[in-house]
Amino acid sequence: MNMDKHLKVIDACRFCFMCRHLAPLALVTGKETDTPRGRALIADQIRMNKENLKNQDYVQALYQADLSGACRTHCVSSYDEVGLVLELRKDIVDAGVQPQAVKDFAQQFINPSFTITGEGDVLYFNHPCIKVHAPEMKAAFDKLAPKHKTIEGNDCGTALQILGYQKQADEAAEKFVKAVKESGCKTLVVPQPAAFHFIKSKNLLPDVKVLNTAEFLLTLDIPKKSGTLWPIDSDFLKNYQKNNAPRELLEKLGYKLKEFGITHEESYTCGEGSMTMVFLYPENVSKLVERVREFAERYEAGTLVVASPYTKLALRTYAPELDVISVEEAAAR
Amino acid sequence: MLLNRKSYLYQMIKSELTWIVGDDYVQSDDAEKLGHSIDYYWVPEVWHDRGQKLTGPDFIVHPKTAEEVSKILQVANTHKIPVTPWGGGAGSQGGALPIYGGIALDTKRMNKVLNIDPISMTVTAETGIIAQHLEWEVNKAGFSTMHFPASIACSTLGGFIAHRGTGVLSTKYGKIEDMITSMEVVTPTGDIINTLPVPRHASGPDLAQLFLGSEGTLGVVTKATMKIHPIPESRKFHAFLFSNMHDGLEAGAKIMTSRLNPSVIRLYDNPETAKLIKRVLGIDRVGSYLVFGFDGPEEVVDIQLEKACEICSEHGIEDLGTESGQVWWDNRYKFYYPPYMFQLPQAFGTLDTVADFSHIEAVYHAMHDAVKEQYPKAAYIGHFSHWYDWGCMLYARFIIEQPPQDPEEAVALYNRIWDAAIRAAISNGGVINEHHGVGLKLGRMMRDLYGPAFKVLEGIKKTLDPNNIMNPGKLGFSGY
Ligand SMILES: Cc1cc2nc3c(=O)[nH]c(=O)nc-3n(C[C@H](O)[C@H](O)[C@H](O)COP(=O)(O)OP(=O)(O)OC[C@H]3O[C@@H](n4cnc5c(N)ncnc54)[C@H](O)[C@@H]3O)c2cc1C
Ligand code: SF4
Repeated sequence: MNMDKHLKVIDACRFCFMCRHLAPLALVTGKETDTPRGRALIADQIRMNKENLKNQDYVQALYQADLSGACRTHCVSSYDEVGLVLELRKDIVDAGVQPQAVKDFAQQFINPSFTITGEGDVLYFNHPCIKVHAPEMKAAFDKLAPKHKTIEGNDCGTALQILGYQKQADEAAEKFVKAVKESGCKTLVVPQPAAFHFIKSKNLLPDVKVLNTAEFLLTLDIPKKSGTLWPIDSDFLKNYQKNNAPRELLEKLGYKLKEFGITHEESYTCGEGSMTMVFLYPENVSKLVERVREFAERYEAGTLVVASPYTKLALRTYAPELDVISVEEAAAR
Repeated sequence: MLLNRKSYLYQMIKSELTWIVGDDYVQSDDAEKLGHSIDYYWVPEVWHDRGQKLTGPDFIVHPKTAEEVSKILQVANTHKIPVTPWGGGAGSQGGALPIYGGIALDTKRMNKVLNIDPISMTVTAETGIIAQHLEWEVNKAGFSTMHFPASIACSTLGGFIAHRGTGVLSTKYGKIEDMITSMEVVTPTGDIINTLPVPRHASGPDLAQLFLGSEGTLGVVTKATMKIHPIPESRKFHAFLFSNMHDGLEAGAKIMTSRLNPSVIRLYDNPETAKLIKRVLGIDRVGSYLVFGFDGPEEVVDIQLEKACEICSEHGIEDLGTESGQVWWDNRYKFYYPPYMFQLPQAFGTLDTVADFSHIEAVYHAMHDAVKEQYPKAAYIGHFSHWYDWGCMLYARFIIEQPPQDPEEAVALYNRIWDAAIRAAISNGGVINEHHGVGLKLGRMMRDLYGPAFKVLEGIKKTLDPNNIMNPGKLGFSGY
């Protein structure tokens, strides 16, 4: 089974409570299942008896995971509980026992096609999350770097990978890589942090410079700004890639940054690590957003700045009164 | 499991609970039951590991307010079903295990900081808040709770109150029972009561101290006000290596009886120095590692530190310096993360106890002998970590590398060692426990410890909880 790669993680996490304070979903549901310990216990039950893979209570718990990576970052030995859940999802899909909602949702990403438009040496990935849910992020990018090509059409396999559809994810990635290569561009800007992590961690494009938006904007000469922003870091950039470019950019631009919430360690992305929670488990997202709203109120946060279109969508949907902009919008102001 | 999940009574009770807290906050699925059937007690861990059936709750309920808690307890009284409060579930005594099924009342949604009073220097919070979150929120206002248990990341304020917990800096700032100034409690029959607003008075017996340490058997603590402190201007540490534990104990006692005011003293015996100080801090020496720290205004810290160093120098010591002390402080929680912490297949138990300076060393040796007598191959290590004007706490541990594979045999051996070690502690001037509590694990020894006085506790329990719904079978009280 795929999960066998992570048996050491099960041994470590199943009786360990030491990162529960950073498990975002558990903080709003109060559920033990939503912590690394809770999920490792489930994994252990499956390790002991493969039939448990069919238990829909367990399956649901594994699909609800926020995958923020905050716990892994905190863990002194960096046990990869996120990796364990992702492998378990592959086992679930292999067994064909994933929830119907997951099956339905995954369909839209299978067998994608991509088109390339525009002119320039730089290729911008207009990921569906941006195109459909946060077109203002692309508009801001266009303003700052008008001369570029655009690749769009679908996701590059990220969502499929996260949902446990390994084979289909690989096929999607292959098509994406082919399209990028055909563009002739040697720089690819990936504004969707999940997709950025997917491409980087798989080293899909060894001959292309793959940058997230902030990294790319750091190379431009953008007029200075003033004002105070409260950054909400991306799970994929901060916890997966250890990439601090969004904050570096904002500071370089002259913004004063104030720490949001009660600690830099907590994830306030409202489920970005899961990439799909806002579509599959919206009730959980609304609870996560409520915590952000509470902290914003209690600590009188002004404009929140996010690196992820996912977080922007979640906050806009459940807390429209909050003032939220993206990093590229902050740069284009 | 008390109730058949398919029965209509089960559905009736579930509906009643749902009316109180809402659909999302009553669970009865296998995943959540699993999470609430294992706490940090070794016995359910080994039970799970060996594929045995665990006892879980029938329902997990997550109230948001004291009023909701009150209504849940009323439902439980009506149907006469047990209620077990569950905070972080990180207690090591099996206290939060719903051993008779019924309702696991998970407190973690009651997690708000309600007020920070900078004039009286207190914070009022709901008790489901995780201690680290409370500390972070208080830090934002420029203060500290100074409550730094190794489980700060995983346990709740209510859990610490329920077990009379303690943190690394207890020697100066006290245990949780010294920190709390008042509490709101929902009694087993559903009354919402408050203890007096201040902890020092001559207005009758102290109700707050009755609920502190009651381990969910006398009600649910829903709010608490506790002291907060300024962030100290300076915090310094110093470490020494003593050739033997006895000298270290003498030095530690002298620091305390000289009425210096260290925030922490921690003395590791030779075996623990060899095992854990080496593994976690990388200090590879033979002897007993002692570290202490002071905090406050810099000049006060410096004078006290110097005096404490002088006391240590009276013995044959190796001075490891301030840096080694600081390394210990920086890594103080690392000891508790895998793989540094003991874990299965090992069997291990923390035999923590407390005694006065005249008895503590005898307690250490008596427990050692008791463990070795029961299982000669068991390792016995310990450190002395919470110091008082009159004595100190012993955090001894036994570790068995390969306990029996059969879970019943393993648990029987485990219990035998506990019985022998705790009885040895009691007969040498110690107590059952200093800060982890009693729970399921040590309940059977409460009568030994209290003697006839245990009847007083039983009488209080009966009066407050006539249907015995609150956490039955814990703290030595009768089962369900
Ligand atoms: C790695 C690790 C390190 C530890 N280090 C320390 C340490 O340094 N100091 C220390 O003191 N302890 C320590 N402990 C033990 C544990 O953290 C404490 O016993 C703590 O008090 C348990 O709190 P909890 O919220 O996890 O409670 P739980 O385990 O959920 O419950 C413990 C008991 O309290 C009752 N309870 C919980 N909440 C309430 C409430 N609101 N009202 C009434 N009853 C309630 C439960 O019914 C149960 O009987 C450690 C544990 C771990 C896992
Ligand atoms: S990730 Fe690390 S800290 Fe979290 S449960 Fe696992 S071992 Fe413990």
